[in-house]
Amino acid sequence: MTTEQTNTQTNTQIDVESFRLEARAWIEANLEPRTHGVLAGRVDSEAKSPEDIARARALQRRLYDGGFAGISYPVEYGGRGLSSLHERAFNEEALGYVTPDFGAAGGVTFGAIGRSLLAHCPPAFLQRHIPRILSGEELWCQFYSEPEAGSDLAGIRTRAVRDGERWIISGSKIWSSGAYLADWAMCLARTDWTVPKHRGLTWFALPTDAKGVTIRQIQQINGNAEFCEEFLDEVEVTDDDIIGEVNKGWAVTQTMLVYERGAGEMGAATVEPRSLAPDLVELARRVGRTADPAARQAIARAHINDYAQYHLGHRIADRLRASATPDPAVAAYGKLASGVLAPIRARLAMEVGGPAALAWAGGDEEAGRTALNYLNGRVTSIAAGTNEMQRNGIGERVLGLPREPSFDTNKPFNEVLNSARHFDSKVG
Amino acid sequence: MDTDITEDQRALLDVSSRFMEQSCPLTVVRDGERRDEAFIATYRRQAAELGWFSMLVPEALGGGNISGNGVLDAALIAYRRGALLQPGSFVGTNIVAHAVAAAGSPPLQQQVLTALIGGERSASWAVASAVSDGRLDGGVQASPAADGGLTLSGAKTAVQDVEASSWLLVTCRAAEGAAQVLVAADTPGVTVTPLESLDLSRRFAEVRFESVTVPAAAVLGSPGAIDRQLDQQLAIAATLTAAESVGAMDAELEMTVRYAKDRIAFGRPIGSFQAVKHLLADTSLAVEMSKADVLAAARSLGSEDGYGTEAASIAKALVGESAVELAQNCFQVFGGIGYTWEHDQHFFLRRLTTDAGLYGDASWHREHLCQLAGL
Repeated sequence: MTTEQTNTQTNTQIDVESFRLEARAWIEANLEPRTHGVLAGRVDSEAKSPEDIARARALQRRLYDGGFAGISYPVEYGGRGLSSLHERAFNEEALGYVTPDFGAAGGVTFGAIGRSLLAHCPPAFLQRHIPRILSGEELWCQFYSEPEAGSDLAGIRTRAVRDGERWIISGSKIWSSGAYLADWAMCLARTDWTVPKHRGLTWFALPTDAKGVTIRQIQQINGNAEFCEEFLDEVEVTDDDIIGEVNKGWAVTQTMLVYERGAGEMGAATVEPRSLAPDLVELARRVGRTADPAARQAIARAHINDYAQYHLGHRIADRLRASATPDPAVAAYGKLASGVLAPIRARLAMEVGGPAALAWAGGDEEAGRTALNYLNGRVTSIAAGTNEMQRNGIGERVLGLPREPSFDTNKPFNEVLNSARHFDSKVG
Repeated sequence: MDTDITEDQRALLDVSSRFMEQSCPLTVVRDGERRDEAFIATYRRQAAELGWFSMLVPEALGGGNISGNGVLDAALIAYRRGALLQPGSFVGTNIVAHAVAAAGSPPLQQQVLTALIGGERSASWAVASAVSDGRLDGGVQASPAADGGLTLSGAKTAVQDVEASSWLLVTCRAAEGAAQVLVAADTPGVTVTPLESLDLSRRFAEVRFESVTVPAAAVLGSPGAIDRQLDQQLAIAATLTAAESVGAMDAELEMTVRYAKDRIAFGRPIGSFQAVKHLLADTSLAVEMSKADVLAAARSLGSEDGYGTEAASIAKALVGESAVELAQNCFQVFGGIGYTWEHDQHFFLRRLTTDAGLYGDASWHREHLCQLAGL
């Protein structure tokens, strides 16, 4: 995870404010102004269509050709080699403009996956993929969780078996955001079953159109289908597709988790929320409750929630930026805050909306949005690591509290399932 | 909270912490009788030498701060004070010094500021009243007196750390609206009655005014036209009080985490149980958010960036609720021992709950936020 450091060391030629001016000029000349803003408290959950993605790719290409894709990525792979602060400056300047929107797949591709590849892959691999990622030609997704392994990620059961020059991968994956639109996947598989769970894992890159890959969209509680599940039936890859080292996949996972839990947003533009929860004020006006003390308390709570999350985010980004190896446990604060506060934020809107948030006229999208946000508000308490996993991370790695006794860390993985079926609480 | 600060700020904080640890450690905080008037006077003069009471007064009036943002410097000191549950009128003296510097007449400034900054006298803000209806000017009526003076009648309550020689900044109600006057606690007609209180680390009093007349020079600003000054004063008081709370929260959580590592039950340190670990992780998140908000409020207020009063209300509401919850969570981890007088835990519980209610509780600040936003 030295990319950030290397970049700041080798690219001091342009300071953030000069870069900001350069970015502003380019943005004004090359991007379209946004017609409507992004409101606090809204979770954009809509699944992207192939047309949306085609538009995003074209726009990403424009950024790439203009020298504004991968601002904090190394120059040799098509990036600008600048710091996350430069990246944030660009994103701040671009807030009022239409930028490439790949949905969840975009965050995953340019954040967790791109960063993990940079940290763990050899130059030849990076030459093949990173420029194509930055130019919008390769969109990636994660083949990561499985139906039988979520929080206990090291317990995955997809297997990769060596067969001469090839690896053959079989198993099933789930919760892959945007996989139906992605070109490549980063896939975690077990390559050694005779060692404890963390020591027999390997990451592979595989094209989503490879023979044996079936991708199915899953319908979610909000009616959308952005998450996917995959079936891998003897999918062939080669040694060139290995990310990191064979059986040392857990190191890659840890890099990935730091970025997945928020360190990837170090360069994200955020604006200090100074308007009192605008979405809820608007809602209170619509239902005639602006003078109701209970509604006013709820509105203020929502604003306090937004403001605290913003400042916590900055505090964490500063702490992560200050250290050479960002600590996933520090990132866990931001993830836990969002996992705890997002459902509260969504519930406060339901309180303000009252009966009008529970039932509305058919087709009235605006009125239905409160309920939709309420459902969407569930996402962050589970996705990319449950609140409980973040609490473990903070408790153990920040506060230094001892771990729970573990029943599988020292057992060969091929014995773990069998002994769990005869669970007798004996630690070992 | 004080990781990202200047060398000068660090030096001030370190020397302040040493002073507090030596002159008023928890053993002294616990022993109210040792903290008599002579003790408090010495403590105050020593604190003044460290610059504790000059930070909110401009240099032209004899004050000064080290970073250019006096509210931030004061909040950092308050944070260290909170960790050691320090007594004495820190918030009050600073607020009164600020108010006199901002809105006092030149004779009043001359009379008061040097004594406050030098630690010869302390000051308290008499703002809360038993029957206030949420207004800052409740409880005391001000009627016109000769030559632009005002005559006060009524009572304020929960006035912090009043001493015989204290100045009192009284927020009262005149015919034109809210008014503020500065009056010495030993003025005839002023009765200071010590109260019993939940918090044992500080003293609280009821202050009664029976036809107390103050001259025009002691009236701060024009009655009925001081809303902005009041908002600013309250915002600073709320931020400094929240900063003291965050210090106490940090110290109490640290004490509790240590206990969760040391205490053995069922053959394991209790902190290895997720029921305990997750509670402490949530509490730690609340502390991190509280720090972020208090720093944001102090930076905003001290740099006059236009969002200070709102940021202060946000911080006070968030910290107040988080602090009370933290005290409960820590209490839960300590179990029975936390319910004993001998254990320090209840001093934190008492202090944090009290701070949460001073200068506006969480609900008050949430409503205030709505009003500031024009809702």
